[in-house]
Amino acid sequence: MLHWLAALALLLLPTAAAAQSSAQLEHTSVELIAETATPAPGRTLTLGFVTSPKPSWHTYWLNPGDAGAPTRAVWTLPAGASAGELRYPTPETFVVSGLMNYVYAHENVLLVDVTVPAGLAAGTPFPITAKFDWLVCDDEICVPEGATLKLDLVTGDGTPDPARAAAFAKARAALPKPVDWPARFSFVGDRFVLAVPFAQAAKVRGGYFFPAVEGAIGYAAPQTLGIAGDTLRLETAAESARDLAQVPGVLKLDVEGYDEPLSFEITAAPGDVPASAAAIAPAAAAGSDGGMGWQTATLALLAAVAGGLLLNIMPCVFPILSLKALSLARGGASEADARREALAYTAGIILTCLALGALILLLRAAGANVGWAFQLQDPRVIAFLFLLMVAIGLNLAGLYEIDVAGRGAGGALAAKGGAGGAFWTGVLAAFVATPCTGPFMGLALGAAIALPPAAGLAVFAGLGFGLALPFLALGFVPALRRRLPRPGAWMDKFRRLLSIPMFLTALGLAWVLGRQAGVTGMTLGLAAALALGLALWWFGRRQGGERPAVAPLGLAVASLLAVLLVTPVAQTQAAPAEDGTLAAQRFSPEKLAALTASKTPTFVYFTADWCITCKVNERGALGSADVAAAFEKAGVTTLVGDWTNADPVIAQFLESRGRNGIPLYLFYRADGTVEELPQILTVDRLTGLVA
Amino acid sequence: MLKALAFATVVALAAPALAAPQVGQPAPAFRLTDSNGKARSLADFKGKTVVLEWTNAECPFVKKHYAGNMQALQKAAAKDGVVWLTVNSGAPGKQGHVDGAGANAIVKAKGAAPTAYLLDAKGDVGRAYAAKTTPHMYIVDPAGKLVYMGGIDDTPTADVADIKTAKNYVTAALADLKAKRAVQTASSKPYGCSVKYAG
Repeated sequence: MLHWLAALALLLLPTAAAAQSSAQLEHTSVELIAETATPAPGRTLTLGFVTSPKPSWHTYWLNPGDAGAPTRAVWTLPAGASAGELRYPTPETFVVSGLMNYVYAHENVLLVDVTVPAGLAAGTPFPITAKFDWLVCDDEICVPEGATLKLDLVTGDGTPDPARAAAFAKARAALPKPVDWPARFSFVGDRFVLAVPFAQAAKVRGGYFFPAVEGAIGYAAPQTLGIAGDTLRLETAAESARDLAQVPGVLKLDVEGYDEPLSFEITAAPGDVPASAAAIAPAAAAGSDGGMGWQTATLALLAAVAGGLLLNIMPCVFPILSLKALSLARGGASEADARREALAYTAGIILTCLALGALILLLRAAGANVGWAFQLQDPRVIAFLFLLMVAIGLNLAGLYEIDVAGRGAGGALAAKGGAGGAFWTGVLAAFVATPCTGPFMGLALGAAIALPPAAGLAVFAGLGFGLALPFLALGFVPALRRRLPRPGAWMDKFRRLLSIPMFLTALGLAWVLGRQAGVTGMTLGLAAALALGLALWWFGRRQGGERPAVAPLGLAVASLLAVLLVTPVAQTQAAPAEDGTLAAQRFSPEKLAALTASKTPTFVYFTADWCITCKVNERGALGSADVAAAFEKAGVTTLVGDWTNADPVIAQFLESRGRNGIPLYLFYRADGTVEELPQILTVDRLTGLVA
Repeated sequence: MLKALAFATVVALAAPALAAPQVGQPAPAFRLTDSNGKARSLADFKGKTVVLEWTNAECPFVKKHYAGNMQALQKAAAKDGVVWLTVNSGAPGKQGHVDGAGANAIVKAKGAAPTAYLLDAKGDVGRAYAAKTTPHMYIVDPAGKLVYMGGIDDTPTADVADIKTAKNYVTAALADLKAKRAVQTASSKPYGCSVKYAG
């Protein structure tokens, strides 16, 4: 009797727990849906497994990443029917304590195709039962859940169920699009590089590669996306397994002009990948297209004008501007002349800025990774600037005069009369200003690169406008001009004094030259300066009415030739720690990723020998023993990136921060937040970071 | 000199986070306190095969294997003179974190037989080994070389029923070591809950 009862209970149990098409579990609700209630024999029936994790919980992609587990299905189907693999929608990334998870933190639908055997009569019951197992986690706890779901279908004409049409359309749209692009991958040292041809490469603003197989990449490592022609190049840390015949996965891309990211299911084969790529333009500030883009452009423009204005007080620009200004006062120029000179000066500056800007945009379009002041990464340009500064300094000091108009001695370089002179002064000012990329400008120029070319050029022009603004104001507002000090003998003295900042700038450049081209390069530069000095001396004596020997002229030519001989030498970069009391390691994106992954507070800064603001900060706040002590006490690791010579890795990183120039100071807190510091640092600001 | 020293310190401190271990290379050295307050270091076990098992008693994947599988592995290992170190890198306040008494209680309740249960609340050793999941298994040979890292078996589920059909990588690797063969499967994808590191 008891046995009989037990047997009955066993028989009844499955019925009592009769499988439904949906189930409500503690952390997820799930449902199995069919595209049609009447599957047609001989055709494919698509089913959807709908999973809705509760808020702040997630389920996993087919490759869960560092931890987790994918969903599994075991099917019980009518004879002759078979189910394919689960097809997963594009996942999201979710990092917990430095471990990467590929997840769905919202409702998601896995699709599966069931083949319905041919030859079934219409009206035949077609029951489908599937046992699903999945893992659902929040940021700490994981719970395996499972359910057996059942659909009672009946064969028929396969008419789609109108009530399910929207759900299936949405589910299909969420799947990555299978493509047969000839994607390639390669392990380069400890890096994994993926190359994917993509027609709209230039419009890609960001992306992520989800590998479907283990052993290709370190999941939590940052991925760097770049473009080489019409190929996307994605680089990240490699995993240890190297014998992969292919790497399938999903490439998720943010493409300009699309509201939602695009996802592609690709399979990469081993093959050649581009050695380097230009950084992609960062996405415009979050928000809807168009409007926000213009807001960014306007902000960048304002920042550029402000930055340009500030450049006027930089040691390399100030003497030129002040002499130019005084010349207006001295000349007692007419209103019309003053305006004409101001306009010519402005034109000279803006055109130079536009030319440099256009050159950068063109080079970038061609694939080179350059930023503002990129020309300073070539020692020949540094050597030329150095000689120029020496020449201007000698001129200000009174060794010789420049007099193109032939109106007799007395007009200094920057005091040349006429619109032509003003124009060239403007050109000179803009050119010598580039080493002094001041505050505000990093941001503005970074944006200029990201904006459409026209808007980008407008930002460069804005920079020039800002630089020209003081002189423009003098030219157009007579009241301002009258406020200038009365001309007199003191002006000559003042002019000679102004040669000091010029010589100091020259000294700084000589140091940069030494760092870039070694002692030999610097000596060559100094020899050139000597030759140039002699030549200018000779020239000055001639202006004084004497007839000295011609020899120094040859020396001047020799000095210019010497400039061309200066070549960069491979630097053995000493640990930057020697420069300050702050112990620092060489920056690399991987090191930064590892440090942030291990929750180590990290201070990152970028410098270059030609970046004066950087050097000021390093001598000042960054060199302070208080800062070093505070950082050490708080366990802060410092990383420094040296951009003195061109370095695509640093350029790409700056770009990823929406920057195109330096200085850049970043503080990564242990809790994962990043703070961008102002370009002028103070000891209090730095110690305050760890207080 | 001081500067150089400070620099070296920073490098040394940062190093554990940077170096994911490689099979065939020396296993990262460590020193931890076990559940009985005794200091244990990897060097103590030089000359013996060492199994490292990352654990979190509340993780369903760990529970799956502690239904009997893990204990059986530990006892078989002990019989062969293999050292078994259970490591808990769960941070205080997070799921699965235990103190010494808590660890001993779990070992007793589960009938587990590790050589020692090591407490790594700061997660330094877990990070040095790049331990990602619980369980996550590592095997160090008598010469101190890492010979296996990855999952406990090839079936990444939380279902106890799957154990009997799964291929156990740890058993296979220990058998390879015992027979003085090269470990056939030297790495696999670890599976389980994420290690509940601090931060």
